[in-house]
Amino acid sequence: MGAPLEVQDPKVDIAVDEVTDEDRPWVVVVWNDPINLMSYVAYVFRKLFGYSEEKANLLMLDVHEKGRAAVSNGTRTEAERDVNRLHSHGLWATMEHDE
Amino acid sequence: MALFRRHRMFVPRSGGRFQVKLSAEAKRGIVALAEELEAIQSTDRPEVRRLFPTAYADDAERDAGYQVFARDQLIEQRREAVDIIRRTADAEFLTVEELSAWMGVLNDLRLVIGTMLDVSEDDHDIDLASPDADSQLLYRYLGEVVHGIVEALTTALPEPETS
Repeated sequence: MGAPLEVQDPKVDIAVDEVTDEDRPWVVVVWNDPINLMSYVAYVFRKLFGYSEEKANLLMLDVHEKGRAAVSNGTRTEAERDVNRLHSHGLWATMEHDE
Repeated sequence: MALFRRHRMFVPRSGGRFQVKLSAEAKRGIVALAEELEAIQSTDRPEVRRLFPTAYADDAERDAGYQVFARDQLIEQRREAVDIIRRTADAEFLTVEELSAWMGVLNDLRLVIGTMLDVSEDDHDIDLASPDADSQLLYRYLGEVVHGIVEALTTALPEPETS
């Protein structure tokens, strides 16, 4: 058996481009809604993100008073996971590029 | 003062358990509502739209990709949570996981009823003359139960990871 040929794999460049796009920072936003209780929203932030009571309450008040708050950020995969966990708890969360 | 202490519906006890202080009638009502949620969640009725939020607000294509897995996953999670309610409806004590399932289902019911009633932040009074009065009362009651569960489960949160 001969040594493996060293060839340039065309998939590598594509993968690099994808990773670059994936790694553009994303931010997870929770939007105000008139239904979820303020105590419930703050509890979910503490449960899902391990935030202190103070930080969770400040974020909850931002949601309530400003209409939205950025609650986490990361790669697209990480942000989508957080959005999904928030949706599992009935919160109105979306993700957008952190420009 | 004890005289004015609000009745707690879920009392934290040792061993990470919560004692349920709801009447048998209230528990029966919760099971019936949970089963209604289970039945309507996978329909296309407008009041269930809030159960399946958008992830990508301004990218319909990516959102469609997200919904492909998220919708089925949310439906399955709710089915499992309703099963837990059915199984534990008569239990005197619930674990954190069981009480969390109760909270999720009851909060989802608030999302459905609140959407149906088209509630706003300013809706504090119940209009007993309204044809929706029963739904308004139920919505308010479910809010009290969810708040009671939040108070109980907060006692079981681990120490914060970040400040």
